[in-house]
Amino acid sequence: MELTDADLVARVLVDDDQHAFGELVRRHQSSVRGLLRHLTRTDLALADDLSQETFLRAYKNIRSFRGEARFSTWLYRIAYNCFREDTRRRKEFVGIDEQQLQAEQDPQVSDPGLKHDLMHALSLLPLHERSAVLLCCQNGLSHDEAARVLDIPLGTVKTNVLRGREKLKRTLAAWGPD
Amino acid sequence: MNEISHEDPVDQQLREAAPYIDDNGFTAGVLRQLPAPRRSPRSLRGAILLAATLLASALAYLASDGGRFVVVAMERLATLPALWLFALAFGSGILVMIAGVIAAIAKASELQS
Repeated sequence: MELTDADLVARVLVDDDQHAFGELVRRHQSSVRGLLRHLTRTDLALADDLSQETFLRAYKNIRSFRGEARFSTWLYRIAYNCFREDTRRRKEFVGIDEQQLQAEQDPQVSDPGLKHDLMHALSLLPLHERSAVLLCCQNGLSHDEAARVLDIPLGTVKTNVLRGREKLKRTLAAWGPD
Repeated sequence: MNEISHEDPVDQQLREAAPYIDDNGFTAGVLRQLPAPRRSPRSLRGAILLAATLLASALAYLASDGGRFVVVAMERLATLPALWLFALAFGSGILVMIAGVIAAIAKASELQS
């Protein structure tokens, strides 16, 4: 029988079992790295550095995980905080202009196809909308969970998701049946 | 509950567009950077129990005139009928088993919490 995240966390807490923590990393590395890749606008090296920092912080602070939220939600919160601290350090947190954004694009994004158009449109969203859309629409968090991850009011999350989705829908409309 | 409909085409497209990122040594890299594991509390607990047992045994030996009480107790046991000895052994076994079950339940609830 496969151990749940809660079982693995218990093993880390009781026995300082690093193999159990390794299993947690293996399970969640893809979603955490994926989230950070989108937040950093496809800067893969930076995203992986922040992902590594996320898991190291999670290990050091695992006693503060009370099991009230899902382990993945707790990880996303740490990941988002790592990202926010990094962007503050780089003073890029607010307002990356369009030209700079174009220069940062992953070459794959210019490939044709719905998927790439969608990812491109996602990367063009402002950070507050992008992070809310990523957490709620892609990673399946509830609005309430996303509000806790992003440390913003629930109403703001709902607004950001709604606006972000509308913008993405406009992109997808070009691929519609008409 | 999530207010977003899971049937929404944007949500569906976003989920489908999210590729699984292969580990490619990422987990190993994280594990290499973890601090050394602290000494296992289980082995520490065992060492404390063993030391306490040895100390208590030594004190009992010294305080009982070189273990004279053991000789006296054995002499008394030897005079008991066989049925009494069997009952004593059986009762002791039951007590140890109950203690073991209580310890196992306590450990299980500790892990669950």
